Amino acid sequence: MKLIIGQCKAELLRIFRNPYFIFWSLAMPILFYFLFTRVINTGAEDAGEWRAHYLMSMAAFSVMGSSIMTLGIRLVQERNQGWNTYIRITPLPAYAFFLGKMVGQTAVHVFSVICIFAAGYVNGVELSSGQWIFSGLWIVAGSLPFLALGTLIGMMKRVDTASGVSNVLYMGLAIAGGMWMPLEILPKTVQEIGHWLPSYNYGSGAWAIVRGDHPQGAVILILGGYLALFMILSVYLRHKQRAV
Amino acid sequence: MEQVIEVSNVSKSFRDKQALRSISFGVPKGSVTAILGPNGAGKTTLLSILLGLQEPSAGTAKVFGLPPQHQAVRARTGAMLQEVSVLDRLKAGEIIELVRGYYPHPVDTALLLEASGLAPGDLRRYAEKLSGGQKRSLGFALALAGNPDLLFFDEPTVGLDTVARRRFWERVRFLAGQGKTVLFTTHYLQEAEDYADRILLFSGGMLAADGSPAEIKSRIAKRSLSFRPAGDPRLLREQLLQLPAIQGVEEHEGRLVVRAENADEALRLIFAGGLGVRDILVEQGSLEEAFEQLTLNPGEGVRS
Repeated sequence: MKLIIGQCKAELLRIFRNPYFIFWSLAMPILFYFLFTRVINTGAEDAGEWRAHYLMSMAAFSVMGSSIMTLGIRLVQERNQGWNTYIRITPLPAYAFFLGKMVGQTAVHVFSVICIFAAGYVNGVELSSGQWIFSGLWIVAGSLPFLALGTLIGMMKRVDTASGVSNVLYMGLAIAGGMWMPLEILPKTVQEIGHWLPSYNYGSGAWAIVRGDHPQGAVILILGGYLALFMILSVYLRHKQRAV
Repeated sequence: MEQVIEVSNVSKSFRDKQALRSISFGVPKGSVTAILGPNGAGKTTLLSILLGLQEPSAGTAKVFGLPPQHQAVRARTGAMLQEVSVLDRLKAGEIIELVRGYYPHPVDTALLLEASGLAPGDLRRYAEKLSGGQKRSLGFALALAGNPDLLFFDEPTVGLDTVARRRFWERVRFLAGQGKTVLFTTHYLQEAEDYADRILLFSGGMLAADGSPAEIKSRIAKRSLSFRPAGDPRLLREQLLQLPAIQGVEEHEGRLVVRAENADEALRLIFAGGLGVRDILVEQGSLEEAFEQLTLNPGEGVRS
């Protein structure tokens, strides 16, 4: 336990000292949020509902980003810096290394969600305390498939490739998943693809909660499917890399 | 003597290359052993196996009587790898504290600083911003963090200036004085000679020689004997070749150069036979030259 806490502390320090994290995961979503709820008139019928809906979009956008980018790129960096090899010769068990990372990452997600929700609260979003808590929990727990995707990206050899690929994936998933603007106003083909993307299903759970609904079974199933897929891929690739 | 490392018949082959061929040796407690050899001799592969980073293709390697991957082995071992490992966005002091936390009985931070030569101010700096030498010192501190009984250093002085190099070896000597076992790789013969109790000479994945620096030196550095013929050079040549101690004769700028395993014995036979020689020269072959010879022709290596 002590090991995991120490590991976690180091991860947290590293994430909060990373200017990219602060920009992409906190500043950008909050800026976008105010832009699309205050400055630009989106012509939404129910302004209050839109403010709550878009708050969820941005919180999900932020957490998805830090799962894919922060985690993935950091993993590649650590391997290239020889840290992974070094860790293997210390008595630190592999599970403590991995858990420390995941717990640290989750703590960061909780922090991001709190920051972004606070911005929403200031902006006049009105939700019941149950809705605040459940939507927050959904966003933190639903990040699992994206953490698995980040781990996959973390297997790439070069930092440049990893950051390029994760950027494209991140932006593609965010736009086609209806996080930047509602899926309904996007072209028909994008909508059809979007419904199957993990990003849309991730957002849709939170959108349902703030509408007073609950996440649909299909949404959970799809996210679970992606989690399983990414994990299987990651195990398969690890085996293949080791065999070489 | 208690053996800290036992390697028996270890071979390692990669897809296209045999990195180690049936290596066997033991390392007693408290010794400083150099694994010497040119690049590609298999030094780093051997170290990776001893550190439990790679599995041997055949044979067994044991550290403290256990497989190298064992948790108990890792808790008693420290290592500085070739690639200096740092974590970005962490200060040197934070990395040291993190790694100290991995071990059951870590060394006090103040002692670590003293042993590694890091200045207290360096601890507050980000690890990736440290200079090459300071990063090495950090690596050294990390290797010592768990108060290990066994230390591995892979090419520890590459890229260090002479002062830093000497300081490093002073610290290693100090650690050995405390009863710690040290194993390091190097491709500098001088370093192995000056700082190790024992040299394992590797060449082409084989253990070409194993002994104290003095033994290795006497084995690999042959003396050469040369002189001018006093009479008929052709006759002298024939007479020389009949002597059992002489393996060959070559002519070089009017001098006959004799190849002999034992120059003393060859000289004795020449005088006893009353051979016509004058202007005798006995030269100590350079150690570096002999080392190159030995490692270039692994098949001719001296086995013990």
